[in-house]
Amino acid sequence: MENFIEMLSQPLKEFWTGLVSFVPGFTAMFIIIAGGILISYLAKALFVKGLKAANFDSLCDRLGITAVIRKGDVWERPVELFGHIIYWFLIIIFVMIGLNALQIQTIDNLIAQFFVYLPRAFSALLILVIGYVIAGFLSRAILIAAVNNGYHYAKVLAEAVRLLLIVLILAMALEQLQVAPGIVVAAFSIIFSGIVLAIAIAFGVGGIDAAKKIIEKGSDEKKEDKGRDIEHI
Amino acid sequence: MSDFYQTGNIITLHKLGKPSLERIESELKEFAKQRPIALALPALYTDFTSDAMKGIINELKKAGYIREIVLNLGRASDTEFNQARDFMRQIPYDVKIIHNEGKRIKEVYATLERNGLWAGEDGKGRAAWLAYGYILARGVSDIIALHDCDIATYSREMLARLVYPVANPNIDVVFCKGFYSRVTDRMHGRVTRLLITPLVRSLEKIVGYHPFLVFLDSFRYPLAGEFCMITDLARTNRIPWDWGLEVGVLAEVYRNYSSRRVCQVDIADTYEHKHQPLSPEDASKGLAKMCVDICKSIFRTLAGEGIVFSDNFFKSLEVAYLRLAEDTLVKYEADAAINCLTFDRHEEAKAVESFTNAIKKAAEVYMGNPLTTPLIPNWNRVTSAIPGILEMLKIAVDEDNKI
Repeated sequence: MENFIEMLSQPLKEFWTGLVSFVPGFTAMFIIIAGGILISYLAKALFVKGLKAANFDSLCDRLGITAVIRKGDVWERPVELFGHIIYWFLIIIFVMIGLNALQIQTIDNLIAQFFVYLPRAFSALLILVIGYVIAGFLSRAILIAAVNNGYHYAKVLAEAVRLLLIVLILAMALEQLQVAPGIVVAAFSIIFSGIVLAIAIAFGVGGIDAAKKIIEKGSDEKKEDKGRDIEHI
Repeated sequence: MSDFYQTGNIITLHKLGKPSLERIESELKEFAKQRPIALALPALYTDFTSDAMKGIINELKKAGYIREIVLNLGRASDTEFNQARDFMRQIPYDVKIIHNEGKRIKEVYATLERNGLWAGEDGKGRAAWLAYGYILARGVSDIIALHDCDIATYSREMLARLVYPVANPNIDVVFCKGFYSRVTDRMHGRVTRLLITPLVRSLEKIVGYHPFLVFLDSFRYPLAGEFCMITDLARTNRIPWDWGLEVGVLAEVYRNYSSRRVCQVDIADTYEHKHQPLSPEDASKGLAKMCVDICKSIFRTLAGEGIVFSDNFFKSLEVAYLRLAEDTLVKYEADAAINCLTFDRHEEAKAVESFTNAIKKAAEVYMGNPLTTPLIPNWNRVTSAIPGILEMLKIAVDEDNKI
């Protein structure tokens, strides 16, 4: 009978011991997350206020970042959107820290991986933003230069350059995120070299006569120049 | 049937005899292959409940030369927008509706405003401007036609005749305005008959010869809301958002193009639409408001041309106008008599009185602040400030129109 009671009470005792050791961790997690929500909210409010003071919305409009956001059918103001991103980013960090308080091995590993991955995600984001701005700038510069030189396909050329740069930027970002890096590099190399080869062939085959004329013209001019040189006796 | 007199320094295309609509439309189909045609329609949801709109849609179904219709819908909830969209599905070609009150378009306006580009108050001017923006963003059409959605006597001949001069490459025209007589059992169009024409002619008396006044006086119906133009004009012209829209557009056309490339065309034997109340006691609404805005627009354009205005100038103008308007009134009385039309001389005289007050009010406002301008910046200016705005507008409209 005693054995039977022992058999019944043992799991309950173990459960109780587990519960007693779990509750402080859980309470700590709860406090960290609750505090984190509050801090995230305050940080978001502060961040939004700062961005508004810096006229960030207008800057995004002029740099074309707003247009990119709208492509995803997101119609919030850039300041609010970035505020939300910051808010949820901080919430995720606080949830991770909170989960850490539970002292569970699997979660600890996950959190360690998360924090290692964080700088990569940040640099990938930075690559995307800066890359997009540079692509837009170069595309516009090419468009203006091509239009001023009277090229009929100026817009197509500018769009092609922009597309190529965006492919390059995406590959860089994905490589940074370590998303199937081998495949990304291989795919990028194939696509990029394919495009370059296509352009080279198009120019090469289509421009044989033009190139010939340019070379011939160049050598004729040289000959003429030689002819015009003053020769001293 | 019209006469064939060429008015002023623009081209006037008359309706002589009974020209074949089928021939004009078949030619338009050919022209449209080279230069696609868009139709911009500024409308309110209330227009969709009228018989006029049903008639317009029935006629537009048959206008096969139109590549795209862009209807800017104002004062409509989401449900009403969906109803309007269902209604427009009858038209067998590309129709896009701009949901002016939708969250996406509101954000487009907010984007403009935070960058110091105000698109003006809600109205026909802003609706037309936004429709042009969407047409430019799509980059499909080379020609834009525009008309109101409250025309009770609409026929597709009206549209064909309006578009033809700009679409036909042999007629080198960049802007075409419609004209017609607004007659039922009486003559309508009081603002054109009794304000604009006498005002322009009294200005000519005081200022002397001025190309803009000649240009304005050349139009038989300068307030007609129906016009057609090349897409470039939609990019470079600034549009007033107030009631000075029609006169303001003419002023911009005058500023940017030679009058040789501007025409007016007889588009209908008669024309009937919503009538505005006179409201002489309140200058902030009805015809009175419209008249003040029109006068301000004319004064501002002339000031831009170097004409110097003073209190004495305006005093003389009021007297000259009143006298000329009274003479005009007598002419119309005779015209009404020979055509067996009702003519309420007292009402017409009251209208002249109200218009004189409008001129006085416009002069006061102008002298108070001559620099105030109700012009919406042109799309070239807007895209230079916000390079992605047309793309944004296109996404907004396309998303709103997704099923």
